[in-house]
Amino acid sequence: MENEKEKIDLLFEKNTKEQLAGIDWGKFNGAISARLDEADLSKTSRSKLPTVFKIASGVAAAAAVVFIAVMVRTERPMDLQLEDGQRAVVKFIETKGSASVEIIEQNGEGKENGSQAAWIIIRMPEPVLVADPFLQGADNGANGYLRDLIHLF
Amino acid sequence: MNESREANSSDIGRLVEASQAGDRGAFDELVRLYQRRAMRAAVRILGDANEAAETVQNAFVKAYLNIDKLKEPRRFEVWLLRIVTNAAISQQRAARRRAERIKVINCHEDKKAVSLVDKAVGEELKEAIRAALLKLSKKEAKAISLFGLEDLSQREAAEVMGCSVAAVRWHVFKGRQKLKRLLKEYL
Repeated sequence: MENEKEKIDLLFEKNTKEQLAGIDWGKFNGAISARLDEADLSKTSRSKLPTVFKIASGVAAAAAVVFIAVMVRTERPMDLQLEDGQRAVVKFIETKGSASVEIIEQNGEGKENGSQAAWIIIRMPEPVLVADPFLQGADNGANGYLRDLIHLF
Repeated sequence: MNESREANSSDIGRLVEASQAGDRGAFDELVRLYQRRAMRAAVRILGDANEAAETVQNAFVKAYLNIDKLKEPRRFEVWLLRIVTNAAISQQRAARRRAERIKVINCHEDKKAVSLVDKAVGEELKEAIRAALLKLSKKEAKAISLFGLEDLSQREAAEVMGCSVAAVRWHVFKGRQKLKRLLKEYL
């Protein structure tokens, strides 16, 4: 591209030369090296953190999957088949209202056999709109779990 | 002939591969080979050595952190110049936005790793060129910058800019037209 230069290029060339003439290239190289050292340090500290973050993000992802699965499963009717032929109706609310439920644990046999679980522990993560005095004031803590279990069985 | 051109492409390829494998010394060598060329490209966009120095330092850090993404080690120069010119254009746009700010460069000049310019020489020209460069489009500024790099072919310039050779020539032409008009009293 050298052979097509015009006056304006020569003017730029002059300015560029003047600008670059004052540079101490050794110092400049040192400055870049220092910046790269900083980048190395931050890269190292980043590489130490990921283990913690990977675990945390893994847990969060698993929780998200469980949550989605639970939300999907709450679409099911609220009566659960516990064992062969047995049928139990879980009434969270006497006859009205609804609540999304979170499945805490269930036995694996039912899933492996392609049938529904024989037992299931659930909790209600949301306040329940009921007139049932027993359920009124249900919270999301241990007491809430207990009541849910009582209602289930 | 500049230092980066003295090293042949297979040497560069080896240095890049070593850098990708985590050899910091190899990257330092790449910096040594390309720092002048990078500065030259940046100065031609920014018109100011202090700003160019900051830009080039940032560009080398960016290149260092992303060296593993370079698929063709022998094309390091094109890749680096793309980073440098993009960084310089960003810096130039920021400078345009800060056009009204008070200039404080002289206050912290000693802190800078580079004490760069003989301010007595060409200061007026420098400021005129800086002002004129701000009037160019991004592509015109890049094309003008790359046009000023010795030994850089038009094809390489086109690769850096990610466009055709004809487009580079067009941007150079348009950029020159603007600069001639803006800097006519210096010509």
